Amino acid sequence: MTTLIIFVGFFLYLILYLTYGKKLERDVVKVSNEQPTPSHRLYDGVDYIPARKEVLLGHHFASIAGAAPIIGPALAICWGWAPALLWVWLGNIFIGAVHDYLSLMASVRYDGKSVQFVATDLIGKRTGYAFYWIVFFLLILVVAAFAAIIGGMFVRTPAIASAYLYKIIAALILGVLIYRVKMNFSLATIIGIAMLGFAIWLGVETPIKASYTTWMWVFFFYIFIVSAIPVNVLLQPRDYLNSWLLYAGLVLGFVAAVFAFKGFEVPAFAGFSPVLLGGKPTPFWPAIPLVIACGSLSGFHSLVASGTSSKQLDKETDGLVIGYGAMFLEGFLSTIVVVSIAGFGYTALKTAAAAKAIGFNLNASNWGATFTIISGKLGLSKANLFVQSYADMVASTWLSFIPAQYVKVLAGMWVASFAMTTLDTTNRLARYCLSEMAAPLKESSAGLYNVLTNRWVASIIPATIGIYLAASGNWLVIWGSFGAANQLIASIALMTGAAYVAKKLKSGFANAAVIPAWLLWITVTAAFIWFILFVQPGAIAAKPVPGWAVMIILVVMFLLNFLFIFDFVKSKSYKKAE
Amino acid sequence: MSAASAWQLSQSHRVLIVSLDPAHNLGDIFGVVLNHKKHRFTDSLYLKEVNLQKLCREYLERETRVLTDTYRYLQTINLDHYFSVLKYSPGIEEYALLTSIEETLRFQKDFDYIVFDTPPTGLTLRFLALPRITVTWIDRLVQIRRDILEKRHTIYRIRGILDDKETILSYDEKDDDILKRLKTLKGNYQTLSSRLQGEDCGIVLVYNPDTLSLKESKRLIDGLRDLKLPLRLLINNKIQIKYKAMADHVDSAMQALAPAVPIQRVALSESLLDGQNSTLYDISETILSPFEMK
Amino acid sequence: MISSMVRWVRRIFADFDATHREKAAALTVMEMEELENIFALLLIGSFAGFSSPPTFLAVELLPYMERELQILCKRAKDCNDMLAEMCGTIGID
Repeated sequence: MTTLIIFVGFFLYLILYLTYGKKLERDVVKVSNEQPTPSHRLYDGVDYIPARKEVLLGHHFASIAGAAPIIGPALAICWGWAPALLWVWLGNIFIGAVHDYLSLMASVRYDGKSVQFVATDLIGKRTGYAFYWIVFFLLILVVAAFAAIIGGMFVRTPAIASAYLYKIIAALILGVLIYRVKMNFSLATIIGIAMLGFAIWLGVETPIKASYTTWMWVFFFYIFIVSAIPVNVLLQPRDYLNSWLLYAGLVLGFVAAVFAFKGFEVPAFAGFSPVLLGGKPTPFWPAIPLVIACGSLSGFHSLVASGTSSKQLDKETDGLVIGYGAMFLEGFLSTIVVVSIAGFGYTALKTAAAAKAIGFNLNASNWGATFTIISGKLGLSKANLFVQSYADMVASTWLSFIPAQYVKVLAGMWVASFAMTTLDTTNRLARYCLSEMAAPLKESSAGLYNVLTNRWVASIIPATIGIYLAASGNWLVIWGSFGAANQLIASIALMTGAAYVAKKLKSGFANAAVIPAWLLWITVTAAFIWFILFVQPGAIAAKPVPGWAVMIILVVMFLLNFLFIFDFVKSKSYKKAE
Repeated sequence: MSAASAWQLSQSHRVLIVSLDPAHNLGDIFGVVLNHKKHRFTDSLYLKEVNLQKLCREYLERETRVLTDTYRYLQTINLDHYFSVLKYSPGIEEYALLTSIEETLRFQKDFDYIVFDTPPTGLTLRFLALPRITVTWIDRLVQIRRDILEKRHTIYRIRGILDDKETILSYDEKDDDILKRLKTLKGNYQTLSSRLQGEDCGIVLVYNPDTLSLKESKRLIDGLRDLKLPLRLLINNKIQIKYKAMADHVDSAMQALAPAVPIQRVALSESLLDGQNSTLYDISETILSPFEMK
Repeated sequence: MISSMVRWVRRIFADFDATHREKAAALTVMEMEELENIFALLLIGSFAGFSSPPTFLAVELLPYMERELQILCKRAKDCNDMLAEMCGTIGID
């Protein structure tokens, strides 16, 4: 079954890329190689440099891939594997990848300006400004979500913690080799990979045990230190090592999934509203975009696509493989995750229960109601479940000559590396967002403005809120809110893209963008309403302070959502075509 | 004052007097019309007035020509327009002044003495401080430039050349035009700086016997000390007999401020006050004796 | 047939290599550009409309500062649109 699904997914993506994708290219975006792209027209040897599409694809994919496409499916499995897979496939093909592609191409047509700029142009200045706010909240929630995930992983499998520590040391050394000593790049890469392997081995040998709260404090200080040092000391070499981890994980996962030949133990369909976010019954619609973000649809991708990739696009026809195709790759990654958990997750849970000597009554009929709770109790929720399933999957194939504990650490490191990178990059970005958000205060209250834009204050605010939320538990609520923020940006970006093709381009097939855009907006709005009314009050009752913090964030974003749609409907671009 | 001293000196030496004072009094004093070229007054005394405006304009024209050669057509037009604004900027004036002194020192070698008549205190202190400040600033710029080159080298090591269209950015210090130019400029200014601080140079401070002048001079002396510029002579100018007590008081105060420096006194010419045509010859011949060459 | 396959594989490896080198250098490139921008601003900011006083140093170095001027003007134009670019380069995942 695992093998079957892998191939179905692969061919589904391939065929639809060649049919639907090409149709989008031809009839919606009206791609033409007659028009030179900004990378040629505005060539400056600095940002606007045409890149070969293979290279750009690698770059773009590495930027959008991370830990989120792994976590989402691990949670969504509570609906059963079929709904999760359907969203990863169809949601990706018809909404998510369209969103990425349109963001990229609209930016290309706008001289490489970001989707934020395009939104400001097509919709209004408030929308552009709102980006800073929503991204800021997104960054805080991401810190909270990821810190909690890593904390959970480090507690359950201490070997991952120590392996990660050694990896940091390896990254520091690699940084010196590449950027100071300027050693030959290939040689340095080989040394880096070797150090990575060594880190994994050493991690298994010397696990570091610490409590969850201890890790929270460690992350807090980690954020500060790392976001204050120059980027080529740790950030760059660490990112570079991460990409090798990604390939290793992907290749291993793909091969293992193909050769696993295992049936799915997890039920295909476990109910419409299983217990998930905030311990409440979570309806598949509208909550699925909040749970599975990056593998299927993610607002953040629009920023990446329109931030750097659009300025380096060589020909307009390259856009399809980069905007549309890269998203498919990520969807494929999520497919592998779903497959591994669907195939091996149940056994993993059962084994863990046996190991803990507690009763285990999870089965197909009560899956929806109890999966989340039980997996949480067994410490096998979110990333841990993936790590375990992944290790088991690899072990069940001819790849079992690799000792399972190393595979586990590899999978854990994969997740941890991307998540940890996020911790400090978000801090850097949050500082910037905060100073942009505070800009209107410059005239009216200069004192407050100076305080907010001070480097240390601007660093402390997001880090403190993020880590505090992570430490206070109720992670599922945080993940849901993170998804909400992410999809709000996606909604704005897709609406912007749709406005572009419908109003400016007047494409015949514009509905391919407009319908998903409205569907998405309605879904996101409904999700917000459901979340605010049904989930968050429970969270507030459980822990008032973090509960209210998240509630405030949600409400502000919800209001921005309405402001956005109001501005959109009022805007000239909307009226023009009516 | 400088005119008088120059005259005295020229009795026995070859002297060039350059007036940097925007007030342009030199010509009036000697009764000649000076343009910005060297004017021969006598065989041993040459006069020159520096026309600041003209200096700036010439300076900028020179640079514009270099730009026209280097830049492409489009950009030159935009910058051209800008330069007309540049000639009024304060920074350019001072630098043009400094450049003119530097050039004078470099090229006018056949004089025994060169006397520079400088504008009032504030401006003078500012532009005397320029070489040192410029050197400091150049150092900072060089540091940033080095960082940039360092990073370019790193990128080159990692990435190599991307494609043919990309211009090869210099990452070696030897190849970077900007860095080389910065170093040359630094050298020039350091040379000028040490020249001004050296044995061959001396500053004469001319003050009046009143408290306002005293205060101003104090500031000047402090400034000169900071800059390590050698104050060699103090001249108390325009002393009147009836105010001798004041003059003495000011003199002793000045001496206290600058103990090792000799003081000379010059009386206020009565005939000048009367509006008669007064000659300069009444001023003591030994006015610049501390400067006499050994 | 074989040779074209070999060529294809080689191409993939070359691209793989190029991608990695790009990624490893990406942040340094951004740093360098920002430094060049700063350098240009310090020196010749007035040429892009900033209120820094033009100095003779700026005029002296201007003939060599073509690239820096380009970066300066470009950054001056784009400085309000940097969020997406930074997200793309630094990356959140």
